[in-house]
Amino acid sequence: MVLLLLKRIGFMIFTMIVVSIILFMLLETGLTGDPATRVLGNFASDEQKELWRDQQGYNQPVIIRYAKWLGNFATGDLGTSIRYKGPVKDVLLPRLWNTAILGFWTFAIMIPLSLILGVLSGMKEGSLLDRTISVFGILTTSVPEFASAVFFSALFVFGLKWLPGTSSMAGGFEFKQLLLPAMVLVVYDFGYVARMTRASMAEVMTSQYIRSAVLKGLPYRQVIIRHALRNALIAPFTVIMLQINWLLSGVIVVEFFFAYKGFGALLLEASLNNDIALLEACAMVAVVVAVTSQTIADIGYTFLNPRIRFS
Amino acid sequence: MGEKKDKLSTKRVHPGVKEMEKSLAEGKCSRREFLRTTTLLGISVTTAYGLASAILGKDILPGLISTAHAGQKKGGVLKFGMVVQEMADPATYSWTEKSVVARHIIEYLVETGPDNVTRPSLAESWEASDDLKTWTFHLRKGVKWSNGDDFNADDVVFNFTRWLDPKTGSSNTGLFNAMMEETGMKDEKGNPKKRIIKNAVEKVDDHTVKLNLNAPVLSIPENLYNYPTAIVHRNFEKEGGDFSKNPVGTGPYALAEFKVGEIAVLKKRKEPYWGGEVFLDEIRFVDLGSDAGAYLAAIASKQVDALYELDLTTLQAAKNIPGINVVSIPSTQTGIIRMKVNKKPFDDIRVRKAVQKCCDVKRQLAIAHQGLGIIGEHHHVATIHPEYFKLPPVKQDIAGAKKLLKEAGYPDGLEITCNVGNTNGTWEQDSVAILKEDAAKAGINIKMNVMPSAQYWDVWTKAPMSLTSWTHRPLAVMVLGLAYRAGVPWNESSYNNPAFDAALDEAEATLDVEDRRAKMEKVEKILQDDAVLVQPFFRSVFTATLENVVGFEMHPTRYYRFHKVSLA
Repeated sequence: MVLLLLKRIGFMIFTMIVVSIILFMLLETGLTGDPATRVLGNFASDEQKELWRDQQGYNQPVIIRYAKWLGNFATGDLGTSIRYKGPVKDVLLPRLWNTAILGFWTFAIMIPLSLILGVLSGMKEGSLLDRTISVFGILTTSVPEFASAVFFSALFVFGLKWLPGTSSMAGGFEFKQLLLPAMVLVVYDFGYVARMTRASMAEVMTSQYIRSAVLKGLPYRQVIIRHALRNALIAPFTVIMLQINWLLSGVIVVEFFFAYKGFGALLLEASLNNDIALLEACAMVAVVVAVTSQTIADIGYTFLNPRIRFS
Repeated sequence: MGEKKDKLSTKRVHPGVKEMEKSLAEGKCSRREFLRTTTLLGISVTTAYGLASAILGKDILPGLISTAHAGQKKGGVLKFGMVVQEMADPATYSWTEKSVVARHIIEYLVETGPDNVTRPSLAESWEASDDLKTWTFHLRKGVKWSNGDDFNADDVVFNFTRWLDPKTGSSNTGLFNAMMEETGMKDEKGNPKKRIIKNAVEKVDDHTVKLNLNAPVLSIPENLYNYPTAIVHRNFEKEGGDFSKNPVGTGPYALAEFKVGEIAVLKKRKEPYWGGEVFLDEIRFVDLGSDAGAYLAAIASKQVDALYELDLTTLQAAKNIPGINVVSIPSTQTGIIRMKVNKKPFDDIRVRKAVQKCCDVKRQLAIAHQGLGIIGEHHHVATIHPEYFKLPPVKQDIAGAKKLLKEAGYPDGLEITCNVGNTNGTWEQDSVAILKEDAAKAGINIKMNVMPSAQYWDVWTKAPMSLTSWTHRPLAVMVLGLAYRAGVPWNESSYNNPAFDAALDEAEATLDVEDRRAKMEKVEKILQDDAVLVQPFFRSVFTATLENVVGFEMHPTRYYRFHKVSLA
């Protein structure tokens, strides 16, 4: 177990380093154009560019610059954002927090909803309830966020006038403003998780031990809760962990659309405005989240599923 | 009236004013041209309106001037949907949005209104020498900075000196080029390095500043309302050089909160404002990102009271929502499809002419910009420019285009690529697509290369053919000098015609509207005949406000100012 953990963590760090090298090569070297031009714009004079290169240490060899950059990064110095004229950390942390709030509410609604619907659906494969839930789930999952965002705002903002159109929280936090973005994310994602839960549940329901339990004369409710669920929920656990990953990309569209001041909107803004330090920090955060959630999913899965643990 | 004329005569009056009076009396120039030119020459707006009324024998009302409406209410908070960007250094602003926040805190020497008339602001009046090489600005007395200091000539001298120092990196060096000289050194690209001429900006006394130019410039007052020319305090650099951290200003509002990408809050200052009453207690600039749909949704659900900009794609939707007003004004913003004269195949004028002949300007305006604007004539001068000279109308001529192509050695047609970056909206792409359709009829296959806007600005001066969005400028000579004079940095077509430059120099040095217009004939004709650009149309600018917003004025360059705005 400890060995597995160490292996996993080692692999995690290795992945992050590889990504950081690629990121550094793409953004900080001449590989994709002059960084000085990227930062200062096309109208900067050569004098200004040279001054900037000197100040930022761009005249040093790439290896040394990378080592310094990695060192700074590891110790929490994420550099200075051009667009925000301040430390990246000061911009990034509140934005991450905002996305965490959005993510929390999305998951708080999506997970129970999709698990319940998935279990209900998988209990009796082919029943009317199963068909209804499945069709509905496939339907919502097949509509991308940018389409459902338009649809929901047409309905709830322009049509019924129930909800505010944007979620910038300019006048302080307001739960009402969180509804539309969370709704779009939930509707897109719940279908997928519900389908995975259903598949897992359906598989368990056809297994020998469930048949035995039913034949033994146990009440149906007890069969489901005591015997089926425990095994059926292992697969959805991994799927849900992967949704954290998905959420980080999903929020780009949703936050942009509803002007929510979160991590996704920040990442987009950084890339559209060539804000190198900010872009690097955002990309690294995304990588850390991806790799961490993956590792937790793997370890958790092993932990939950004895067959994997002992083989 | 007599009293005002007397007052005028005590000060030196530019002889151009007399000429303008004559032109107006003889009906040779319009009322607006009269107002514009005389105010440029240092006559106050009130006096100019008075003179015009006297000459025309009837009272003319200042139609578009910021006037308080009867019964406007004091107080309230205006929420304005706009991207909030960093705004550390007013001299290097590269986005109008930054100046919209700053404009309420710091001010300009002059102010150009929505009617293109330039009026006094921190400068009370000004005069130009007959050769237009010396400009004297009389500064307003009794204006105080928010830190308690008096506003005076030192502030103005400091700002000019700072703008024209190449180390500052201000685009104002282009506007006041006539105050700079070559140092004799060259930069890496071989362009001469420049510096401010000694004594180019001269403090005459505490409230008088003289600008000494090495060439005549007519548009000095207009240049002084270009958005990076706001006047900052003389200790701006000493006190850190960051405006958002140390927002000292002469304007009626103070910065209360500022978060890039999120919000900027302005609060009315307690001290009385030299410019009179302002109504709003607070102005909140709310950043809603860069999605046009978000802005529409925000105003539809009354989260904001007005928008910086309404996208063409959301215009129709906005018109259909009850409670929202769409305000619009003609401008000289435009999309220029320019061809690089030193790149194949555009080094052959016949090819350029053929492409130009394919363009159907009326169809372009109707489809690409929903009819909101003025048709173009392939010379970048608009009918609303005061010096516009009417040339024979341009017509689509497919047969003529085919013939030219054949002569140029492309009897079987030609394939060219046009870059478009949609830097100002997808109408850019639509405009190229319409040209592509029309050009196909003549056997020219235009391949569209649609790129992200950030990427577009990387190559905008380099690509053989591309559509570039140009902003509004009150005078045609201002934009022509920036974009088509040989060797200037923004000459994206590499156009180089000494005859054009000479004609433009002459027009720029001509004060009289009639004379200047006559000279513009040559300028427009040369540019049109050299077929450097295809210009389908000039765009109107428009935005949306809620019905309860009173006194909101559209500005052709979106230099919004909310001094006379109130809430119902």
